[in-house]
Amino acid sequence: MSIWHWNLRITSRRNHCGFWRKGSLCGLLLILIGLLTLTTGCQVNQQAFERIAGDAGAAFSAASTTLNYFHHGQITNLYARASFEEYQQELGGLDRQLPLQQGVPDKHTIEQLLVVYKQAMQVIDHPCLDTLCNWHIQLASLDRASQAFLKAGGQ
Amino acid sequence: MSIVRGDQIFSIRDIIDSQLETRDKIEIGRVADIEVELHADGTLALTDLVTGPQALAGRVAGPLRVLFQRLLHDRFERRIPLSEVEEFGPTLRLRGTAEEYSVGQSERWIAHYILRWVPGSGHK
Amino acid sequence: MKKWFSITLGIVTATGGFLDAGTIATAGESGAKFGLGLIWAVVLATIEIILLVEMVGRFTAVSKKTYADAIREDFGFKFYLFPLLSEIIAESLLLAAELGGIAIALSLFTGISWHIWFPVAALLVLVMSWRAPFDWIENGPALFGLLTLSFVIAVVALGGPSHDTLVTLWNPDVKQGDLADYLYLVAATLGATISPYLLYFYSSGAREEGWSGSSLVLNRVTAFLGMGFGSVGSMALIVLGAIVLRPLNMNANTLGEIGLAMAKPFGIIGSLLFASVLFVTCLGAALEVVLAVSYNIAQGFGWEWGENKQPVKAARFNLTIIIFLLVAVVIRLIGLDPLHLALLASTVIALFLPISLFPFLVLMNDPQYLGNKVNGRLSNLAVILILLIAFVVALVSLPLEVLTGGG
Repeated sequence: MSIWHWNLRITSRRNHCGFWRKGSLCGLLLILIGLLTLTTGCQVNQQAFERIAGDAGAAFSAASTTLNYFHHGQITNLYARASFEEYQQELGGLDRQLPLQQGVPDKHTIEQLLVVYKQAMQVIDHPCLDTLCNWHIQLASLDRASQAFLKAGGQ
Repeated sequence: MSIVRGDQIFSIRDIIDSQLETRDKIEIGRVADIEVELHADGTLALTDLVTGPQALAGRVAGPLRVLFQRLLHDRFERRIPLSEVEEFGPTLRLRGTAEEYSVGQSERWIAHYILRWVPGSGHK
Repeated sequence: MKKWFSITLGIVTATGGFLDAGTIATAGESGAKFGLGLIWAVVLATIEIILLVEMVGRFTAVSKKTYADAIREDFGFKFYLFPLLSEIIAESLLLAAELGGIAIALSLFTGISWHIWFPVAALLVLVMSWRAPFDWIENGPALFGLLTLSFVIAVVALGGPSHDTLVTLWNPDVKQGDLADYLYLVAATLGATISPYLLYFYSSGAREEGWSGSSLVLNRVTAFLGMGFGSVGSMALIVLGAIVLRPLNMNANTLGEIGLAMAKPFGIIGSLLFASVLFVTCLGAALEVVLAVSYNIAQGFGWEWGENKQPVKAARFNLTIIIFLLVAVVIRLIGLDPLHLALLASTVIALFLPISLFPFLVLMNDPQYLGNKVNGRLSNLAVILILLIAFVVALVSLPLEVLTGGG
């Protein structure tokens, strides 16, 4: 009697061989479709600059709405504070990012955008969330930035 | 290859990956692999159930078993003799209690060395 | 009497449990960016999840096995690894997103940064999954999730969508440059609702509660009505985004600004209602996700598991829960904010749906487990069709989205 330590590689209770072969073919086909779409997809997608500028415009608009709502008593001070922290994270560092994107317009347009950006970021970093400051000026700054960036984003 | 117990015949496929449950209704693990003996008359006899990461690695690809054996210093391969199995089925019921088997030792180790420090773990 | 209570409870928890970080993020962005143009995706996703939840309940009630048990035993260890790995990746991302949702909600109440609340959220989930019995976990947060229905009331209070907005329901205004974005949201919407973690969670829950063949009616009713009502809350959020956020050119790229849509009709109470819904739905979902992954692993490897046992009696299972929460905390360090993490997780889920659901469909048609309660041809076709849509859209949109740094 010989003793064999035999690690039987029975993998499962059902025979999936045929199924898996068909499955792999379908998988390959789908991956090919995906790759094809990817290569042609660049045409259906915005340039990176327009996308980022558009998102920034939307974010400034959100900040403006938040400030407005707070001063009309529709949200609490704490809610506004937390919201502005989110906007800070979203908009911070854009002045470094934007000039490097694909689809950047001419130098003059970029410079103008960055001027508006810097002014608006001062509001984002220090929003007026009490009654003592002149929040109307802040609102105007945010709206200016929003409009400028939305326009740059093609809207 | 099959096992005959009374009127029921179980094939290897019914045993592998089955749940192992002890007499005190504790689930200690699943069968990762089996060991067999080749008799002189050409029949194969199932001797042990094997569990542990080394055996599992071997299920994925043969060479991985050797790799895991080296990495883990062959310390985590656990065996249960077939004679310990009282009842066959989707769950294999074992004769002894959980403490009597080396399979599932990590459960007690983790409870004793890690979880006990967390309040409310129920460790005595 | 007790049966009606169970059914009501089931419907309520399914309604409250429908929303989570993923569905809130996708609904908010969908409404803000494309008006009502993504409601069809919510409808499709709801049909799919109703079918899947009813199936998994039926599977476990009849076969007395959980989903993970059945995959390991029927497909063997090697093929069990595929759905296991896809679940680990997808659900780790989703768990981080849910914890992020809890953290943002707490920051909206307190003004304190969500970065600080994030580990607190992880701790809260750990404490609840450590000692709370299964009933509490399944029903607790979801009951509060009924607050979701306040979204519907808000839509009514605002007078519903304007004619221009209504048109986007069948004619979404998708400009050429926005197509990739639109597709990404379609995939994310599908993935956010069709969550495979629910299969692992519900089938384990059915075992924890001792379901049998006689629970089938209960299962069917709660699946249809609960998920149905829940999806209405999700659609209401899309409408709110379309009515309030879209005209203001907002993209709902942060979770806080989605709440502004509730502040418009109801003021401070509205914004805090939104924060409350965000909190309870993400908490409920975080618990379900971490438990689902841990159930999957424990059952697949044959360990002791269960929420109604002391932690030391299911040591490996509970250690897995702790490890996943730690992994989620680490994932936060990637630097993505909760909303974008939620969108990414949902799209990855959509991408992995064929791997997650393929074993499930095979099992649902196996008379060995289900006797005469196997799937009908129509349900099979519906499930396969919808998951293929989700997969193809995810496959196409995910690389595009990543390449253009969007989301």
